[in-house]
Amino acid sequence: MAEMTRRDVLKLTAAGAAMALPGMIPSPAHAQGAGKRELVVAQGGDVAQFDPHMSTSSNDIRISFNLFDNLTSRRPDGKLAPGLATEWKLQGQTTWVFRLRSGVKWHNGDPFSSADAKFSIERTYDPNAKMRVNTVFTTVERIEAPDPATLIIHTKKPDPLLPARLGFYGGQIVPKKYLDAVGPDTFNQKPIGTGPVRFVSWAKDDRVVLDANPDYWGGRVDFDRLIVRALPEMAPRVAALLKGEVDLITQVPPDQGERIKANASTVVSGALYGGLYVLAVNSKRPPLDNPLVKQALSLAIDRETIVKELWRGRGVVPSGPIAKGDNHFDTSLPPLAYDPKEARERLRKAGYKNEEIVIETTSGYMAGDKPMAEAIQAMWRDAGVNGKVEVLEYSVRAQKNRDRSFKGVWWSDPTSTLRDPDGMMWRLLGPGAPQDYWRHPEFDELGNAARFSVDEKFRADAYKKMTRIALEHFPWIPVIQPYEDYGLQKHVEWAPDPLQQLEIRRFNLKLRRA
Amino acid sequence: MRGLLPFLASRVLRAAVALWLVSTVVFVVMRLSGDPVPLLLPPDAPRNEIFRVRAELGLDRPLPVQYAVFLGNALRGDFGRSIHFRQPALGVVLNRLPATFELGLTAFVLAALIALPIGVLSAVRRNSAVDQTAMGLALVGQSAPTFFIGILLILVVSLKLGLLPTSGREDWRNLILPALTLGAFAMASIARLTRSAVLEVLRADYVRTARAKGVSETLVVVKHTLRNAAVPIVTITGLQFGTLLGGAVVTETVFAWPGIGRLAIQSIYNRDYPVVQCTVFLSAILFIVINFCIDLIYGLLDPRVRSS
Repeated sequence: MAEMTRRDVLKLTAAGAAMALPGMIPSPAHAQGAGKRELVVAQGGDVAQFDPHMSTSSNDIRISFNLFDNLTSRRPDGKLAPGLATEWKLQGQTTWVFRLRSGVKWHNGDPFSSADAKFSIERTYDPNAKMRVNTVFTTVERIEAPDPATLIIHTKKPDPLLPARLGFYGGQIVPKKYLDAVGPDTFNQKPIGTGPVRFVSWAKDDRVVLDANPDYWGGRVDFDRLIVRALPEMAPRVAALLKGEVDLITQVPPDQGERIKANASTVVSGALYGGLYVLAVNSKRPPLDNPLVKQALSLAIDRETIVKELWRGRGVVPSGPIAKGDNHFDTSLPPLAYDPKEARERLRKAGYKNEEIVIETTSGYMAGDKPMAEAIQAMWRDAGVNGKVEVLEYSVRAQKNRDRSFKGVWWSDPTSTLRDPDGMMWRLLGPGAPQDYWRHPEFDELGNAARFSVDEKFRADAYKKMTRIALEHFPWIPVIQPYEDYGLQKHVEWAPDPLQQLEIRRFNLKLRRA
Repeated sequence: MRGLLPFLASRVLRAAVALWLVSTVVFVVMRLSGDPVPLLLPPDAPRNEIFRVRAELGLDRPLPVQYAVFLGNALRGDFGRSIHFRQPALGVVLNRLPATFELGLTAFVLAALIALPIGVLSAVRRNSAVDQTAMGLALVGQSAPTFFIGILLILVVSLKLGLLPTSGREDWRNLILPALTLGAFAMASIARLTRSAVLEVLRADYVRTARAKGVSETLVVVKHTLRNAAVPIVTITGLQFGTLLGGAVVTETVFAWPGIGRLAIQSIYNRDYPVVQCTVFLSAILFIVINFCIDLIYGLLDPRVRSS
């Protein structure tokens, strides 16, 4: 704002002229009194839980990552930065020592200490606490808090990804004293954290109001009040942005993005999703137990066209089962090939007898799920594959996921929670994992060894070999790594996060409004 | 009034049976529709975790036992705890009821205030330009889906003309578009029915007699026609009111209006059995009360109903 350019002055004049037009009623977002600066965010659903250990849904974590801090902080650029811990180091193979920030206060004024951190992490896997994130810290053996500024975590086996685990869901640090005093139910209704915003009120299905924490250790946020509204339908959500009632909207599909860009006061900002959209494969069902058939299915998909036509260019063609931006993503691998002739050839070699291959898709749960399924069915038909699209309701899909009862291939949008193949490919495809439909001795051995190795060179090599195996056997047929797009008022300077967080801390959000 | 007590008693009995049937159907359908637990837990939750949560929610018990517990508790006004919100379901539903009432009542009043005069006018000026325009619009109002009307209103009134907010619930300005959207169907039905009811009466002998007596046309319409046309109009209007309260699902979603319609839809997606059961139960009570009120108004309007 100090460095206002000529162009900005012109823009302001234009905005003033627009406001003066008859019939323009200033909207609530801009009509507030003397200098109170609001940031209004609209997302697709309401918050369900404020207790960060009770939920992993994106509508909830957009808020809980701002009410609370983690020991480590996953930045929108993908790097792991200090959070409530200022530094950490590995001693030996299984002992992590964290130095904690001093002088940090909870929103009620209580001081933060290592006892809170110990309590928080132990709480996630305490069977009596019944938390929903109890799978996050299964590698932890015990935790010590020798002094208020030191936390020591012992892991059962070497865990190279412990700092990364602490940076995502489950890792939010909650106040021990307050929770002990009021109990989990009150805490869930009136949460207290150390984060950049503090809880004010919640009108269910309507809005959550949060105020800036003036004493935030990372600097006060660049607004006074954050309002998060639930606007379930896409068209009204975009309309609210275009009209200036909200400053930031989530989940903008590619076609709506063009409307937002065409509007003078709004822009689209996207981050490459920290994960992939894949067709997961039930490799136990013939003919999908034959690698040649799966190779053919992959070769028959024209991903370039899907990106260009269905996503209007808002995505990239994956090169394998590791998402771009993750640790050990192999930049030397080419994008997955489209070659229908070769696909036919491999089907012939496999002895494929036109068996039906079912694509199970939801409709609207994942962006573009049904249109992509239909496009792929048509592409497969051109290569001689007998595909069939079946539409599932989301809860039926969840049930099938649990029972591992998918019939052929189905949409999955694996998130790389740790920005590392261990937190995505191995978490979902490993033995006993939710998508365990295929086993390969070498793949399993490598995945297991990489999980428990603190030697990054060894891990890089292991994931390279696992990628090679996955591109022969295709337990996943990766289709696209899309952009997660957001709509913004031009005066909001903000970088979107690949893992669907809403990072509003000072380093990531500025309002260029006087 | 002789016979009011037996009338009331039979009504209450019928209401109780209806409520029992409705809640049983909802109980069974919700359980047929699937398990809420996979939706609550992250996809990589281990199997024993799923069993633990099922037990915690009482979903591991046999269905007849769950049903007996549900009925017993419901009789005492306890609908259980919401699986999704972890709070008593009744509280969650009652919390949203004012918003739905506000929207439903406004829509109803708007619909009645606009539709009744238009219906009467159309009948009196039969086949005039006014009549044809009004009935044309009514046809559109009755056939266009609520979703479409809502988004159209947002695009035209809010975005193009900048007159009203697009969504949410803050002050009276937020109420107009959703009320018009929700009331559109009712408005159209009431206008059309009013028109035909009035036309019917206008053909009656006593109207001709009144005119022959030299009674002014205004008095003929107001005194002789409207009173006699009122019974079917009250019926359709009353029924529309019930539909408005129940039909708020789409409108509330489009306009992000925090009422029970939206709650019901979300709870169905979340398989939040207690909240769905409670919402349906309360809606059923509302319908029954409204129908009861209509019956009473009949009696006031038409002495023949009272005596039979």
